[in-house]
Amino acid sequence: MTGALRDLIHAINSSAVHDAALYLLGNIPGFPPMVQTVHILGISCVMGSIVLIDLKVLGLALPSQSVPELVRRLMPWTWWALLFVMLSGLTLFVARPGRYLVNPLFGIKFALLIPAVVLAAVFQRLVHANPGEARSAGALRAIALVSLLLWIGVIMAGRWIAYADYLFPAE
Amino acid sequence: MTSLADFWSWLENLPLAGRIGESWWFPLLESIHVLSATFVLGTLLMVDLRLLGVAARQQAVTRISGELIPWSWGAFAVAVVTGSGMFITRAGTYMENPAFQIKLVLLALAGINMAAFHFGTFHRVAQWDMAATPTVAARFAGAASLLIWAGVMLAGRWVGHLQ
Repeated sequence: MTGALRDLIHAINSSAVHDAALYLLGNIPGFPPMVQTVHILGISCVMGSIVLIDLKVLGLALPSQSVPELVRRLMPWTWWALLFVMLSGLTLFVARPGRYLVNPLFGIKFALLIPAVVLAAVFQRLVHANPGEARSAGALRAIALVSLLLWIGVIMAGRWIAYADYLFPAE
Repeated sequence: MTSLADFWSWLENLPLAGRIGESWWFPLLESIHVLSATFVLGTLLMVDLRLLGVAARQQAVTRISGELIPWSWGAFAVAVVTGSGMFITRAGTYMENPAFQIKLVLLALAGINMAAFHFGTFHRVAQWDMAATPTVAARFAGAASLLIWAGVMLAGRWVGHLQ
């Protein structure tokens, strides 16, 4: 562990939000699975919005819908859902930063998540700027494919955080 | 005369169960289980919101359900297969887990809700297909579906906290 990482973990562990999150998780019966369920339900909204749009752009789903309309209607759901995913995730994270920051799967998850979120924003802008669909179809399809794979990777890596030992055995 | 308990331990003693339980197969199945479960909910959410008259109010209900429900079923099938793979590693323990029991009850309720909707008001969907606000029975089915499936998620997530 690097010194900077140790300092970051120490800083979070000595903060008031850390104490609050740890208290809530430890003292309210059922709070941990409830926070995790908010996290998963938020991810479900991401699946029902951006991932479904990816499948549509790839020609696999929703044949009767138009991409610009789907983007306009569904992508607000993506961003609102991601807010709740972030808040629930932060609650778990600040309670035990040491558990996550040293976990390779946590790093992999965010290495996939950041480009996935950036791509979603780029995709939304592209469709807004060019609602005629046809012109940038090739670019949109490429983005959709990468986006789809990234989100699948994010979700699987997220679940594997608890099983990092299988892939990276502790020395 | 074989009891259920014998059946659970028979499952646990299958070579496949040992293979899954002692390797990275378990987390792999679990991550695919979560992935498919979120997809089931994500697609059902859209159908349920249409049934509630909250979203896509100008679109035919059958257009939304016809394009999304096959995806829900496909993802559900994947969730059942991966869930069964995890289940057989410790079948007896899971059957005694209150969260798992509640999850099974909720899944049964989801099935009953869906069947009642399908053979009830959906039978006459031609009469309300384009209605911005569908029938009371359809709205009830949509609301029940949302609540039950959120409960399935919560109970499913709780299973691991009780072992």
